[in-house]
Amino acid sequence: MISVKQLTKIFKTYVRSNNIITDVFHRQYKEKKALEKISFNINKNELVGFIGPNGAGKTTTMKILSGILFPTSGEIKVLGFTPFDKKYQFLRQIAFVMGQKNQLIWELPAMDSFELQKEIYEIDGDVFKKNIAELIEILDCERFINQPVKTLSLGQRMRLELINSLLHQPKILFLDEPTIGLDIFAQTTIINFIKEYQRKHRSTIILTSHYMQDVQRLAKRVILINYGQIIFDGQLNDLIVKYSQKKTIIITLAKPLTDNFTLPDGIEADYNFPQLKLTTNKEDIASTLAYLLKKIEFTDVTIEDEPIEEVIKKTFSSSTSSTP
Amino acid sequence: MKRNLKIFWLLSIFSIKTTLQRRAGVISFFLGKILRFVFFFMFIYFLVSRSKLLAGYSLSQTLVFFLTFNFIDTMAQLLFREVYRFRPMVISGEFDSILIKPFHPFLKILIGGIDIIDFITIIPYFLLLIYFIAKIPHLNFFNIILYMGFVINGLCIATSFHILVLAVAIFTAEIDHALMIYRDLTRMLALPIDIYKEPIRSFLMFVVPVGIMIALPVKVLFGLLSINVLLLSGMISLLFIIFSLWLWSLALKKYQSVGS
Repeated sequence: MISVKQLTKIFKTYVRSNNIITDVFHRQYKEKKALEKISFNINKNELVGFIGPNGAGKTTTMKILSGILFPTSGEIKVLGFTPFDKKYQFLRQIAFVMGQKNQLIWELPAMDSFELQKEIYEIDGDVFKKNIAELIEILDCERFINQPVKTLSLGQRMRLELINSLLHQPKILFLDEPTIGLDIFAQTTIINFIKEYQRKHRSTIILTSHYMQDVQRLAKRVILINYGQIIFDGQLNDLIVKYSQKKTIIITLAKPLTDNFTLPDGIEADYNFPQLKLTTNKEDIASTLAYLLKKIEFTDVTIEDEPIEEVIKKTFSSSTSSTP
Repeated sequence: MKRNLKIFWLLSIFSIKTTLQRRAGVISFFLGKILRFVFFFMFIYFLVSRSKLLAGYSLSQTLVFFLTFNFIDTMAQLLFREVYRFRPMVISGEFDSILIKPFHPFLKILIGGIDIIDFITIIPYFLLLIYFIAKIPHLNFFNIILYMGFVINGLCIATSFHILVLAVAIFTAEIDHALMIYRDLTRMLALPIDIYKEPIRSFLMFVVPVGIMIALPVKVLFGLLSINVLLLSGMISLLFIIFSLWLWSLALKKYQSVGS
């Protein structure tokens, strides 16, 4: 469905000198490699999370895949089309939602934008009515559908942006930071909706988000990108196994710890009665628990994996240290 | 084609709805346009009615130059108002969302915001133009048909100018000055091109080429041009259109978009 081979994108940026004459008449430019020979494939019905720090090349990749940007080199096929050719049949099968960027008509109610989408994508009248009723109900937008877009909150607008982008039931959906700036309730609504939409319509979704929980809840496969290069492409679970070396034991104590309580070497502790939080190596978990059972009295114990943010951070750190 | 017309229709309706939300702005802008037209009209009227001729043209002929300029200029503004809003689209990243829509981007960024104020003002301009053309003696039917053809040719050149402005905006994120240059050049043709000396006259006619856009249709109407000049002008128009489309496709390849 999506095939990318040796994709490179170079941006030319103007370098300012200290000489105003040179800046005007003899400008210097430098080339910045936003993407360097990246290759990957994405199959139908996959939901892939693109993860990386700011400026890593995530959005550039999505913009090339959707035909917005022209690639410097490489071979890209999406649904059998070369995206930059911008063929009608290609464009009518994709949608791109950009967090905090407005695609709705700002001064008018969202319903006017939906009517426009109906004509742009040649959606049959009955299908349009059915889709819109379904999406409005799932995303709970009935109350503000007829208000001018400029009067809505960011969360309300984002829900309407999703409806606007999904009315034509795209086969490929690009989601660039769809939950950025949203409160926890709006975030949850959007994430649950995306999950349900993908299950129901078997769409291919490519998602970028700085909220790792979003990625964790939606994507089984992740592509980690840094300095324009792919540093990991695989299952999120494999990433956790590979880079997560620690586990956290959270204990609710029955009694405060005594002064002579000590821990074996290599365990980090955070104590605030009644909670004792211990971080240990994965392979030492059994011996640590056995030790604790002997030494302290507790009412509850849970074992947690390292937070996904930590795992990702470690992955990027290891890739940065190996980057020349 | 039918789909594109429907999209154009909807975009136009939404543009009018949006404009009408700012009623005070609409009224003052409309009055400004009318006042500017009336003042310039009176200026030409008093100037030529006293001197009888301007560069060899009578009052009615001079007013046909002025009204043809107004008709083409207002028609271009009516159709291409969205070009004036293109810079914020590029800077905010809104242009990205237009590029992924399954229609030609010109449908939105070039003609996607027709201006209701110009729509209202063009009607009196058009009626006055017909009135003053009718006052000119000895016009033949063939020249009137050619005049209409070259007015359409002028609108094609205006379209190319606006496409060039869009392309320049992608390269430089600059719209206002490019449009100001275009407006100043076309305004030079509000009076007959013959008032300018060579080489300015040839520069305006064949290099820029606002002369072909505005002055040429009127000269054709008065039967003042040879077939060779008309053929040459047609070729220049065609080259200008091809050049603007080539620059636009190059601009799209060079487009860098804004970061997320």
